[in-house]
Amino acid sequence: MNWKRIGDLVRLRYKLMWARTRSRGGKIALFAIGCLLFVLVASVLGAGGVGAGILAIRSGRAERMAQAVLSSLFVNAVFGSVLMGFGLNAVFSDTELRRFPLRQRERFVARHFLGMADPFWLFILALEAGLVVGLYVYGTYSFWYGAAAVLLLYVCGYLLARVVGMWIERLMNTRLGSMIVLGLVMALSMAPGMAASILKKHSAPTEGILAVLRYTPPVAAAAAMTHHGPEAFLGLGTIATWAVGLAAALAALERRPMARRQSARSAFAWSGPLDRVSALFGPRMAPLVGHWLRFYLRNNRFRMLYPFSLPLAAFLTYNIGQLLHVAGGLFIAAVGAFPIVAFMGTSRIAVNQYGYVGGAFRRFFLFPTDPAASLRAGSYAAVLLGAAMIPPAAILWAVFAPRPLDPRMVLMPVVNAVTVLFWFHGAGLWTSLYGPRRGDYDKSLGNDLSLLGNTVFIGTMLACVLLPLALGTSVSPDNWWLTLPPAALAVAFYVASLRGASAVFPARREKLLAVLEGKA
Amino acid sequence: MTSQTDAIRIANLVKRYGQTLAVDDLSLAVPQGSMFGFLGPNGSGKSTTIGCLTGLLDPTAGSVEILGSRFTAESADLKRRMGVMPETLGLFDPLYAHEFLAFVARMYGLEESDVRRRVAGLLAALELTDARKTLAEFSTGMRKRVAFAASVIHSPDVLFLDEPFESIDPAGVSMMKQWLRRFTDRGRTVFITSHVLETVERLCDRVAIVTRPGKLVWQGDITVLAADGAIHHDGRDFESLEALFLHLTGEKYAELNWL
Repeated sequence: MNWKRIGDLVRLRYKLMWARTRSRGGKIALFAIGCLLFVLVASVLGAGGVGAGILAIRSGRAERMAQAVLSSLFVNAVFGSVLMGFGLNAVFSDTELRRFPLRQRERFVARHFLGMADPFWLFILALEAGLVVGLYVYGTYSFWYGAAAVLLLYVCGYLLARVVGMWIERLMNTRLGSMIVLGLVMALSMAPGMAASILKKHSAPTEGILAVLRYTPPVAAAAAMTHHGPEAFLGLGTIATWAVGLAAALAALERRPMARRQSARSAFAWSGPLDRVSALFGPRMAPLVGHWLRFYLRNNRFRMLYPFSLPLAAFLTYNIGQLLHVAGGLFIAAVGAFPIVAFMGTSRIAVNQYGYVGGAFRRFFLFPTDPAASLRAGSYAAVLLGAAMIPPAAILWAVFAPRPLDPRMVLMPVVNAVTVLFWFHGAGLWTSLYGPRRGDYDKSLGNDLSLLGNTVFIGTMLACVLLPLALGTSVSPDNWWLTLPPAALAVAFYVASLRGASAVFPARREKLLAVLEGKA
Repeated sequence: MTSQTDAIRIANLVKRYGQTLAVDDLSLAVPQGSMFGFLGPNGSGKSTTIGCLTGLLDPTAGSVEILGSRFTAESADLKRRMGVMPETLGLFDPLYAHEFLAFVARMYGLEESDVRRRVAGLLAALELTDARKTLAEFSTGMRKRVAFAASVIHSPDVLFLDEPFESIDPAGVSMMKQWLRRFTDRGRTVFITSHVLETVERLCDRVAIVTRPGKLVWQGDITVLAADGAIHHDGRDFESLEALFLHLTGEKYAELNWL
């Protein structure tokens, strides 16, 4: 293994990061603040891990606590990475590294070594390391076994997220891929609830399940942390086996070329349903709206997230409802979580509208129209698609909502969905102009949004989840009218954003062009 | 001053990116009905100039007239009479070729019957009839053909082609040349940038040569070269466009003994 060359690549990655920062005037201070923030968050997370370690010692059930903490972290990290795209961005592709005198194995190690250095995975490592320190300082456990265990667990988490992500990418390129992924996500969403109810009824399977779980990476890591001698070695050996197995699976997946989805069409289709829908926007806007509708509907990420938004909203409604512990908790949770259907599918492109068109961005300026028409048309298409998901979600909610069903219990989530629909897509116009980021249209996974794009997307998601928790029982069908002013405000914000963003669009075009063509 | 016979007239064009000067006081005129070659080494501002001529970039100073009218990024009526094949091709990868061409044709306001007729005709002529492939799946040469088709689908009066012949096979290049000649025979104007000097020499009747940073060093008629004549410049005779180009741009090879 040519470690020197791999080291050179790691240095190059940070040189590139610094060069990019340096070339953006005035961003150095921001970069330094970002680094400080990273250290601060990592320290806070590490302290949290230490706290969990102290709690584990004091409870007298150190291993069980460590199992719970590590399993929860592991599952959340892998899910967060696969679903939200954290920590899955490739710094160098294999093709880029082929120009250097590196063997296949060295390229593999270099790429994934850099992938693991993503802040997301380092935060997870900081939390786990905190747990090791807590157990070591306040208990009698070995620091070195613990350190080895969390390092191996960190590698396993990253590799598992990569394997799952890559497998989903491949699946999404098959004809039934999005349906299979949707089915799997729904099954996974329902699994914890079903498992909990089964375990409540039958205590016998619990021991059997725990025996099997001993061979999973987080439980094995907990064993290595909280034991000495053979049991610790068994735990470390289990995680190491997982790491080797996952690395082999990843290498095998990477070796298999991704199949391209072949169209079934053999003749030209001149006018389809999309053209008929876009015709509603008038002859001047119709071609642009039709174009953007196709752009969304042919995007793998959209095809995955759009139908996924329904089970996600149901999952969040159920779980937040359980957390609230009040009568009507499910309804309160639905008021917040239901609007997710209005923006989840379109989110990635809506906040970075030109980020995936690449050099084709130039085309919009060649047409004999107002160039900002393309911005508005893209937004109309996104709003149309987001709005189309509200009626089926409302029907599903009406079917599964607690009885007796008050019509206002359906109206409130729907009005909130309209509010979020217009707020999010209005904000998306601004982020598309002021926070563009060059992305890969074909990628189903990975977070390729700018800081501004992520702030709007994650902020809106958090607002949907946290607002009902904060408002609690003050969310009542009797106050249904309170949802109307925010909806009106959101519509006004959207209309104002359409006008405002259109006005500044020509002045932003050179900046956008530089970002999209990789020159900034 | 506007000449009725100039399809494109650039006066004192300057384009800066921050402190970097990309085009320096460029003035030139392209006669209507001509095949005009715009040449220069890498980084000499050719694509930036085309960007300013087609509304993609705002000039820092100077003015552009196209077909006798002042041109800006908002000149929708003029854009309707212009066809552009950008350097980056400007293709929407998720679309099929016929969808893309139909989209472009509709954006130029063509009647639906014309859209279908012209798209089908162009696809057949350029051998792009595989309806199962999106533009992302096309080869570089095929993508170039699609971009070319998109630039001519609305029968423009002025055609801007940025490196049109690279990556296209000889048969495709030959057909495009025939089309371009017919295009100029009908009084329309073609503005080409290319590094393939032999092609420019055979195809174009006038040429402008720029050096870094976007400074015009020569413009004139090159039809004399086709008749085995020579261009007289700086007291020397140049029998090929390549010789003139290398003389004007000062391009030379560095001596690397280890290579």
